[in-house]
Amino acid sequence: MLSVNNVSKSYGKFVVLKDINLEFTNGIYGLLAPNGAGKTTLIKILATLLFPTQGEVLYEGKDIIKMDEDYRDVLGYLPQDFGYYKNYSPKKYLLYLAALKGVEQKIAKNKVPELLKIVGLEDVEDKKMKKFSGGMIQRVGIAQAMLNDPKILILDEPTAGLDPKERVRFRNLISELARDRIVILSTHIVSDLESVANEIILIKDGTIAYKDSIESICKILEDRVYETEVDFKDMERFRNQSFLLSERQGNGIMKVRFISNEEAMDTWNRVHPNLEDVFLYVYRDENMKGLDVHEY
Amino acid sequence: MSIKLKELKKIITSPVILSLLIIFISFNFSIIYESSHFSGELNVLNNIVNKFGYKINNESMINFKKYYDSNLKKMNKITYKKASKVYNSASEFFNNHEDISNVYTKGDITFFNNLRVEEEYYYAAMNIDSVYKEVDPMQIAEGEIKQYNLRGEAAETVRSEYRNFNKRFNELVKNGENKNLFFMGPVYRMHSLLFHSLFKSFIFEIIILSVLITAYLVNYEFDNGTQVLAYSTKRGRNLIKDKFLVSIFSNLVVATIIIGTGLGVYFTTFDYKKLLKVPISSYFIGEFSKPYMSKWNMTFIQYLILGISLIYILTLIFTGIAFFMARCVKNSYIVFFIFAVVYASALVIPRFIPTNSNAVFIGEFTPFVLSMNSFIWFMEAGAFNTFKYYELITAFVWTSITSVASICCIKNFKKVDIY
Repeated sequence: MLSVNNVSKSYGKFVVLKDINLEFTNGIYGLLAPNGAGKTTLIKILATLLFPTQGEVLYEGKDIIKMDEDYRDVLGYLPQDFGYYKNYSPKKYLLYLAALKGVEQKIAKNKVPELLKIVGLEDVEDKKMKKFSGGMIQRVGIAQAMLNDPKILILDEPTAGLDPKERVRFRNLISELARDRIVILSTHIVSDLESVANEIILIKDGTIAYKDSIESICKILEDRVYETEVDFKDMERFRNQSFLLSERQGNGIMKVRFISNEEAMDTWNRVHPNLEDVFLYVYRDENMKGLDVHEY
Repeated sequence: MSIKLKELKKIITSPVILSLLIIFISFNFSIIYESSHFSGELNVLNNIVNKFGYKINNESMINFKKYYDSNLKKMNKITYKKASKVYNSASEFFNNHEDISNVYTKGDITFFNNLRVEEEYYYAAMNIDSVYKEVDPMQIAEGEIKQYNLRGEAAETVRSEYRNFNKRFNELVKNGENKNLFFMGPVYRMHSLLFHSLFKSFIFEIIILSVLITAYLVNYEFDNGTQVLAYSTKRGRNLIKDKFLVSIFSNLVVATIIIGTGLGVYFTTFDYKKLLKVPISSYFIGEFSKPYMSKWNMTFIQYLILGISLIYILTLIFTGIAFFMARCVKNSYIVFFIFAVVYASALVIPRFIPTNSNAVFIGEFTPFVLSMNSFIWFMEAGAFNTFKYYELITAFVWTSITSVASICCIKNFKKVDIY
């Protein structure tokens, strides 16, 4: 088990994380927050790249800083932004990282082609990475995170740059891996999490706003999400009265999805809230808070 | 081991470092090549040493004189036969002839020229005692004090420094260290060629490459943006230790390649085989009005080994300094620029220290100043560097400082946030 106990991180007077408490057991955890909310800071603390200003992170009851190499030995980490050696091939680069991860050379030589096949890079394993697209580099990053068969897999924006097909392949891979390890998946793309995450963690203003299953989190908006059709001429008034989640044109009218606390009208269809609805609601602009959708 | 090898590969495959190494080695060869034209003349001395040994004493000088006289006779026989002239010396022959190639064969001219060289050695050897009678270390001290306008306790320190050296000077003369044949200093300047031109070139090249290699390797992950990947692996921040050790190893290898190739070609071009055990304080090594006088009795080969050792120590010290800078500044080229500024400042700042205080000497005890004076290491070297243990103190103190600073850097890196 990985526990985050009262962790805070600040830079001078600027507080990024405030008194964070979390517990992770095997399964997929979706860390969901808009950019700049502190996700990457929390993840870098879990990866021992940043040190908390206060608090501690324990793995199996031991402080991860004191565990040093023993902790990082069970860690796989895909950073949000990472560089690579442009003149290296993915194979050579992964062998280098395998050495840093303490994977025996003999084992690494078998493991690297295996992982490159999993991420669909087996045909270019000896090509220099400077010719690679962003998506290909991202796949090299995913492969390196799994080199040491980690017990804790932390992936920061893992699907950035991946095409839809690769995203599906990635999700399947993660579901497979999560059976016997902790997978922490940080993203601001809600659809990445909906089908795979066991639990969602929403970070807001440097604190944990929610930590629960998708189902439970969606209950925040239960019976308050609707869809309806609105004339173009009425849209302006509708926007001012409701918290719009989405709007799209069709057959000369607007089809809208929105949150409302008012009694439903006949033309409104009540729908099940999804994670994206909750995300938009939780991270709504300050000036939208006046829409009076009370929080649970 | 595997990690260190992979780090080493980064250096070996760096085109900048490899190109510089090749350019530097070629430059050293060119220095040697420029002076190689008199390598033939140097063999005259080897021939003399072969016959009479390098020690100058009554017996060797009598034999040398006999040999010289017989060669002079041979020369006169030839000149008489071909030009009906005889000479008192080979120098006289050369002073009176501008174009001799029409009269004499190439072999004759070579023989005459060799005789002229033998003659110079003979008469210079005869003159040694009178030269050393004129040398007064205390007078040198006063000259230095005047030259640098030293006053008060600073002037007193120099006097005391030279009083100590005076004992060594007397011992040197008593031992007869000065009375040994070596390549004629004022003519060939072999000491300057080897220990000034070549050694200084070695030192600067090694410094440039050491700073570049260390900064390049230490900042490699930051330069490539791979720091978040590399330092979150099992090896983690301990990687910096590997990088430091590999930098030291690489810089020592680079130093060995530069020194090895340079000295290899040097000693192939100039034959020192018979002179390796000649004391470095030999009168003949001196090139200017004042002879070179070592602080200890040591042979040429011992002096050479000591000099090479000091270059290796300087390599370690500069690696430590570059490592410290590279930890503070995360860009290899800026590190190099800062190092250059620090180096230049370390040479200039001591000049601004008041010359009436002993503080004026402190600025001299730095690897930067030490690296500038390779040709007078372990020798009487003027007001600022004649302290008996100047080189050893500087090397020891700075090795200690850079070792401690490097260990602190490694420990500190373990506590630093990596973005």
